[in-house]
Amino acid sequence: MAHLDVSNVTKRYGDTVAVDDVSFAAEPGRILGLLGPNGAGKTTTIRMITYIAVPDVGTVHYDGRTVGPWSQQRMGYLPEESGLYKRLGVKEQLVYLGTLKGLTRAKAAERADYWLDRFDATDWADMKTEELSKGMQQKIQFIATLLHDPSLLIFDEPFSGLDPINSDLLRDIILELRRDDRTILFASHRMEQVEQLCDDICLMANGEVVLQGALRDIKERFGKNTLVLEFDGPDSFIDELEGAGLVRVNTRSAHRAELTLADDTDARTVLDVALDRTDELYRYERVAPPLNEIFVDVVGEAEAERMQQQSVANTA
Amino acid sequence: MKMSLHKIWLIVRSEYWRRVRSTAFILATLLVPFGFILVAAAPAALGYLAQQSSTKTVAVVDQTGRLADSLAAASDAQLIFRPVDRPPDSVRAAVRAGTYDGYLLLSDSVFTGQGGATYYSTQGGALTDQLQIEDRVDRVVRQQRLRAADATKSVLAILQSDTNVKTRTLREDGAGADHTLAYTIIGYAMAFVIYFAVFVYGQYVMQGVIEEKSNRVVEIIVSSVRPFELLMGKVLGIGAMGLTQMVVWAALVMGGLAGAAPLIALFLDPSSLGVAPDASSQAMAEAAGLSIPTIPFDLIIWFILFFLGGFLLYASLFAAVGSAVEQQQDAQNLLLPVMTPLILPILFLTFILESPDATISVVLSLIPFFSPILMMLRAAITTVPVWEMAAAFGLLAATFLGMIWLAGRIYRVGILSYGKTPSLREIARWVTYR
Repeated sequence: MAHLDVSNVTKRYGDTVAVDDVSFAAEPGRILGLLGPNGAGKTTTIRMITYIAVPDVGTVHYDGRTVGPWSQQRMGYLPEESGLYKRLGVKEQLVYLGTLKGLTRAKAAERADYWLDRFDATDWADMKTEELSKGMQQKIQFIATLLHDPSLLIFDEPFSGLDPINSDLLRDIILELRRDDRTILFASHRMEQVEQLCDDICLMANGEVVLQGALRDIKERFGKNTLVLEFDGPDSFIDELEGAGLVRVNTRSAHRAELTLADDTDARTVLDVALDRTDELYRYERVAPPLNEIFVDVVGEAEAERMQQQSVANTA
Repeated sequence: MKMSLHKIWLIVRSEYWRRVRSTAFILATLLVPFGFILVAAAPAALGYLAQQSSTKTVAVVDQTGRLADSLAAASDAQLIFRPVDRPPDSVRAAVRAGTYDGYLLLSDSVFTGQGGATYYSTQGGALTDQLQIEDRVDRVVRQQRLRAADATKSVLAILQSDTNVKTRTLREDGAGADHTLAYTIIGYAMAFVIYFAVFVYGQYVMQGVIEEKSNRVVEIIVSSVRPFELLMGKVLGIGAMGLTQMVVWAALVMGGLAGAAPLIALFLDPSSLGVAPDASSQAMAEAAGLSIPTIPFDLIIWFILFFLGGFLLYASLFAAVGSAVEQQQDAQNLLLPVMTPLILPILFLTFILESPDATISVVLSLIPFFSPILMMLRAAITTVPVWEMAAAFGLLAATFLGMIWLAGRIYRVGILSYGKTPSLREIARWVTYR
């Protein structure tokens, strides 16, 4: 299985610089999370990897060669918000998409049957695509992405629109594909999904890579500056700590809070205040920051805020 | 430009099949010719039925005393003249009572040529009735006048024979081919068929592109094939669908007419056409101007070539427009530069019909955006030198190549651009994107 190398890639549309000197690499057997808010340049970057767009500057190599029609045949791409031909039958659609990837009709039909069975969807084979629910269509698209047994897989927001059960099924299959030593690229702005799935991350903002590396290394680099508290009783102490500039509040509910320590705050101070002010303290833990906080740290409050809002809008 | 013919073929096949087997396509393909034949045949059929249903009996009040018998002798199945010798008042009453369908008053002045024949009826008289009565009275009066003037039998014979003018055009092959009118109709028909076909199938292409884009399936497809391959596959697939539809239509209409010509001939009166009463139905149909002249083979070939050229040229532009929008409604403004050159030649049709060989006609019919319509019209109605046809087609083909390249540049950017509908200026900028 093969590496993907994106080197110093720049892409402009008119006066807008969509992607500016971006470099990263993806390894077989690992999942690379491509992160960033909409407009960060994720989709443009993916389009250059999938040879839908060509970089103005820089190169994209897969398996040591510049990407092109040849690499399209070895790659499966599930675009964000993508759809299917509404009036085509499910299986006919899969076979057509498979032949466009270089499969023979017979081979495509055989693999379509295998995957339909795997997704418990054999009954849908002869249905028209428009008769399926959104979630069912998403599954069919996922099958279309895998049909030709690609060695490079690119998923752009694959979980949007899926219910929890199907999300789990999809996640299991992605992890299974990773065990098969495929190279997997996973684009999302949902930090918790990325944290669950990815081995490496590449954080983008405004067309540039702002942070990249193995997830574990990055977390270590940012240290254990985050506190998780679970308690009973009044929570006004949190406001006071924040007001005094000792901590920053990441998330907060009636009985739980996740706080980031300000640079010179002693973790002990927070513990003392919490013990003093709450009725009961169930949990006090010092942990590595969640990806969200790392992102805030790197790109700044405003940009992170924008992404939070998108994330909320998309889940709603 | 590198492209995979295999991929294009896969797309053509899918685009073609998915449309050709749809219920809408099958219904349209089968029903439209029926509608066409129905519309064409309806007036004739209705006229015939109206004629059949009524035998008119006309009372003749002859004040000259010399015409009634000859008129009575000129009666036939549809029109019976019955001389009556009663005062006009009682005849009028009889007509109102329904004994007669009307009455004809012939006064002395018939012979002096100052009118003198008046037809009264309760229904105001249909046009065909009036014409038939006029025709008979004319003939009978003429005979009487000639007889009064002591004309010889040979003169009578000459005057009574109908003259049917047959038109013949001199063509290069020397044969006296005829049917000026028919060729005008064929020319018009070919021009309009190309116009409508390019228009309708071009819209199909645009719709297909918009659907693919708004369904968001296009990004999946272009991660497997080049956008240009998708564009070509779609245009060719829909073109093949259009050609299929037109061939089926042509076959059904030809078959229908071939079956209908003898049928129509049955309704025609041989004597009124100036052919022998026992003439074959084909001869009669021809005399009535109903026959389809055999369309020269080379004209058919040119028709197919110019249809394909025109379709490909315009379809690529329709596709480019479709790629720039997300909904059909948004396409209106952008369609202007595509529709204008398509509609313009329709305005020149009459002019070219009147002077197909004028320099300006030749020039107009060589312009690539017009030639599919105007050159076909000229080719049908006049003798166009082969070099002119070839030049027009060559220019058309070259323009098509240029336009499909341009359309491809627009298309590859357009299909992935969502949001505000771009202006023409923005679209022009897309062409320069790498």
